Amino acid sequence: MSTAPRTERLPYGVGRVTGQWLVLVLIALALTVVGVVAFAIESQQGLIATGMRNVGTMGGATWGLYITFVVYFVGVSFAGITVAALIRVLNWDYLKPVARIAELLTIISLILAAIAIIADLGQSLRGLLYLPMYARPQSPFFGTFTLVIAGYLFASLVYFYLDARRDAAACAKVPGRLQKFHRWWAAGYQDTEEEQQRHYRASFWLAIAIVPLLITAHSTLGFVFGLQVGRPGWFSAIQAPGFVILAGVSGIGLLAVIVALVRRALGTQQTLTLDMFKFLGKGLMILTLVYLYLMAVEVITAVYAAEHHEQIIFEAMLWGDFAWQYWLTVGSLLLAVALLIWQAYTGRWSIGLIVAAGLLVQIGAVLKRFLLVVPSQTHGQLLPYPQGTYSPSLIEYGLIIGLVGLGILAFLLFMKVFPIMEVSQDSPEGERT
Amino acid sequence: MPRYGMVIDLDRCIGCRACLEACKVENKTPEGVFWMHVFRFEENTYPNTKVWFMPRPCMHCDNAPCVKVCPVGARFKREDGIVATDWQRCIGCRYCEVACPYGVNYFNWQAPSDGQYRDDWVYPEDMQGNDRPMPPWDNPRLDERYGEEDRRTAGGGREKGVIEKCTFCTHRVENNLVPACVDMCPQYALHFGDLDDDKSVVSRILAQKSSFRLLEETDAQPRVHYVGGRAPSGDVRSVDDMKARI
Repeated sequence: MSTAPRTERLPYGVGRVTGQWLVLVLIALALTVVGVVAFAIESQQGLIATGMRNVGTMGGATWGLYITFVVYFVGVSFAGITVAALIRVLNWDYLKPVARIAELLTIISLILAAIAIIADLGQSLRGLLYLPMYARPQSPFFGTFTLVIAGYLFASLVYFYLDARRDAAACAKVPGRLQKFHRWWAAGYQDTEEEQQRHYRASFWLAIAIVPLLITAHSTLGFVFGLQVGRPGWFSAIQAPGFVILAGVSGIGLLAVIVALVRRALGTQQTLTLDMFKFLGKGLMILTLVYLYLMAVEVITAVYAAEHHEQIIFEAMLWGDFAWQYWLTVGSLLLAVALLIWQAYTGRWSIGLIVAAGLLVQIGAVLKRFLLVVPSQTHGQLLPYPQGTYSPSLIEYGLIIGLVGLGILAFLLFMKVFPIMEVSQDSPEGERT
Repeated sequence: MPRYGMVIDLDRCIGCRACLEACKVENKTPEGVFWMHVFRFEENTYPNTKVWFMPRPCMHCDNAPCVKVCPVGARFKREDGIVATDWQRCIGCRYCEVACPYGVNYFNWQAPSDGQYRDDWVYPEDMQGNDRPMPPWDNPRLDERYGEEDRRTAGGGREKGVIEKCTFCTHRVENNLVPACVDMCPQYALHFGDLDDDKSVVSRILAQKSSFRLLEETDAQPRVHYVGGRAPSGDVRSVDDMKARI
């Protein structure tokens, strides 16, 4: 890494606004506005503006696209902390450059998940106040709010902050408008020998502490569904492990896509090497294969021996109302796995194909969550209610578009105030001026 | 402390829906909401077809899945066993609704439309100690706090964005009346009383007839017992393909 220009300019385009970046920000802002308008309409009219309706006599699904995306966003957050923790715990140094992108992905997607929950509540403001005030640990939701949204997010923020202090200290040496901010972030960190030692120790133990939190947090989200005895299709021990695995699939897939975008935007081909993508690709391949295995086990159990209502749900998924979503999920996951296996087999990896696989698994991940949430409500009533239907309304689509826009916006803004990749080298003999 | 429960005699039910109507009038539930619902079932094929009816109130379970999952304790079980909703506590996450095996929860997707209920009804004698269901107007008793818990029970309010469901007409039970559906049934198919009291009508019926409860396999332990029939099996079809959508 060159050291000469760093004395005058901040690395990775921090602090310099380009035309392209502005265009992207405007697009992201426009998407965000769509979401804000959708939320305003929904708050004013009530959830009647969505496509959700009561289960049973009203023939609807009471959880819909919002919960689908809550699960999706929480799943995506898997990548960041996993990668960061693995780098620290297992010393996978060649993954280091993506660590910060991954952590940022975790933090942003967790915030998006929290907003999606708030949008789903009938009484959003009351929810913000009462969820902490009257929290009941007996409810599986408690885990979602404490472990996932609070604990996981808090741990990620602490890790993110501490891990970036070295870079903040380096950036704070560059004069400019952002110097104050970087100095605040560094909080007195001087990068002396002793401080470096402490820095590594702290991040190592934080990483160790975060790994169990990661498993429990994603399992807790699975329990929200898996513990409901009155809901065929949900009530299954496979939910918790399934959530952890699919979280890994979507998280690592999206991480590969974002890292490729950053690589293109910043021209950092030397730092973000093909080896690193290879590693992400292999991880994605293994996790997707495991998930396909879980899906196969689930279907075989349900088709061969499940009780009546579960069979109805799986019939609706395999060749009924939800067939196109189901087979699109299976198809996209299989295609992604095929792409990855082909590359692993021939040994010729290409970033383009890894990114394609990363995008394909996003389709699979979103649709699979939709298939988890909805059919059990519309087709899974234990009493003989008529079958229901659910299709999201424009308001729901708008809000999700807004959330995605907000996520992109947060990424773009962060890129301009702080280096998106690690600047300081780990080796103590590395040059730092 | 009484242990309230309901007994529904399927042999007596003729599917007149008087209970459903009484509930709507008494509790002024919004459009598309049926705290009491009556299934019409079709069984077997011609010429062996059998059509029968099954009223479905809230089961007020002893091991209520909805109470377990509520993240803020808005859904709670009263001392007398009535499962009620504190609609001032409810945040509208609808977890109770997906947790309930019976599908008895209704969310207020919107504020009730204008003119759905009369608010200009002046009937002072109806407000004080009548023993009949009220006309569809703003019954102030629905809004009150009840029981040892001194909490709202989901009558009244009809606030946008909260869950509500059958309350066993807590506001009537607290005033020594039976729920409106029981009161209005012309067939004496619905009975309400204290399951712990040997002399109560529900205990006597349960002592005489064989009974069953719906979906025992979910271990929700409902307090609504059915007599004179059997639980709907897998090949029972609901005749009314009704989607009371709003």
